[in-house]
Amino acid sequence: MAFDIDRYDHVASPLQSWDPRVKVASLGLLILVIALLKTIPMAVVAIAIAIGIMALSALPLHFVSHGLSFVLMFLIPFFFIMPFTYPGEGAFEILGVSFAWQGLRIATLIFIKALSIVMLSFVIFGSSRFDISMLALQRLKFPSIVVQMLLFAYRYTFVFLDEMKRMHISMRARGFIARSDRKTLKIYGHFIGTLLVRSFERTERVYKAMLSKGYQGKLHSMVQFHSVPLDYAKAAVILLITIGLLIGEFGGTLNTAVQAWY
Amino acid sequence: MHISDGILNAPVLIGGFAGAGVLAVATMRNMDMEEIPKISVITAVFFVASSIKIPLGPTSVHLILNGLAAVVLGWRAFPAITLGLVLQAIILGHGGVTVIGVNALMMGGGGLIAYLVWQQRHRFHFKKKLFVFGALTGAVGVASSGIILALALATAGEAFHAVAEMVLLAHIPIILIEAGVVGACAEFLQKVKPELLAGQQAPRLQTSTDAG
Repeated sequence: MAFDIDRYDHVASPLQSWDPRVKVASLGLLILVIALLKTIPMAVVAIAIAIGIMALSALPLHFVSHGLSFVLMFLIPFFFIMPFTYPGEGAFEILGVSFAWQGLRIATLIFIKALSIVMLSFVIFGSSRFDISMLALQRLKFPSIVVQMLLFAYRYTFVFLDEMKRMHISMRARGFIARSDRKTLKIYGHFIGTLLVRSFERTERVYKAMLSKGYQGKLHSMVQFHSVPLDYAKAAVILLITIGLLIGEFGGTLNTAVQAWY
Repeated sequence: MHISDGILNAPVLIGGFAGAGVLAVATMRNMDMEEIPKISVITAVFFVASSIKIPLGPTSVHLILNGLAAVVLGWRAFPAITLGLVLQAIILGHGGVTVIGVNALMMGGGGLIAYLVWQQRHRFHFKKKLFVFGALTGAVGVASSGIILALALATAGEAFHAVAEMVLLAHIPIILIEAGVVGACAEFLQKVKPELLAGQQAPRLQTSTDAG
């Protein structure tokens, strides 16, 4: 698993040059509307838009596909469970279990929406440096304490990833093989305990270091945001798209046309 | 296990954020400056630890560790778990961004319930106390979050009732695994660094429980 979400923030694109505050707010709104869609035709439109925005972001394909893996793994079971457990009469039977199209429709709807949202989320946070994204959130009125903690946690994630790798290597060098038995659980319990003990000692040092550099509970940054009219033009485009999705969802012309055949 | 975007209705999503907000404010009360790096660093440990794969027969599972967060952070486990969820959603694409509120109630709420169990250890004295209570805490943490997850899925409509049941069943092996891991961890911490354990003094009536 790669934890550095912003490793492609240098890739130039209309997304990367977009003022992060405006970017997060606009695409965030789009994500919210997509999450609430209830018709498959609109969901398909949404994923097409997400793919388009992803293409515009010029982020490498493997970067986004890696991020989609969890959503895929989580939702594939839905395709197997929902059509066969939908309450009521099914359309036909497979191997003695009744199959309902409506169950398949719901699973498909969720699948398409979740994929679109993860794509957009990766575009948002993959096209800016992580600390800049977090500061953008702060400018959008997220509490400063929360932003600070997210930044610290992100930074120390990599420290602990390294430590975890080293500890794992030394465990394997002593002949540890992970199995489904109680001994493995005990060893992992001690493993995590060791990480925690080391982290505790670290936080004391971190806190003293911060105090000695003048930390008083507030985050000061040299990052400055400037927005240009182009940023707002991009926001307007996204807003129009969002409104379009809402109209399509409630207006229903596309929906009735498609429903005629499925 | 988290819930992903696109399943829940707007009222549930809003309720999730509202509830999580209330609990976050309540559990971050009187937080002083020194706790900011502490909670952040421990959030990072949990975030990283949740990527460990434990083999379970032919497959492997990831740990949730909300019970362990309660063992180490007490009430502050709620903000730590919530931050961990935000990081997972943003960095790994696990869970979803619109459902962070609901996931926070699920995992963080489960962690708080687990803390209540953890604090009961003051009433008992026997040799393997730390292991047993650690295991119970880990188990209750996972079980509570599984139950809340199933309830959230149930609000999405009748079509999801069967999925909710399967989710509950799927949590059973994770409950057992986490009981073992958290129990071993709690015992280890008691021997190596007992200051890390939350609520080391038995809570008295008016005292606010110290966050470790």
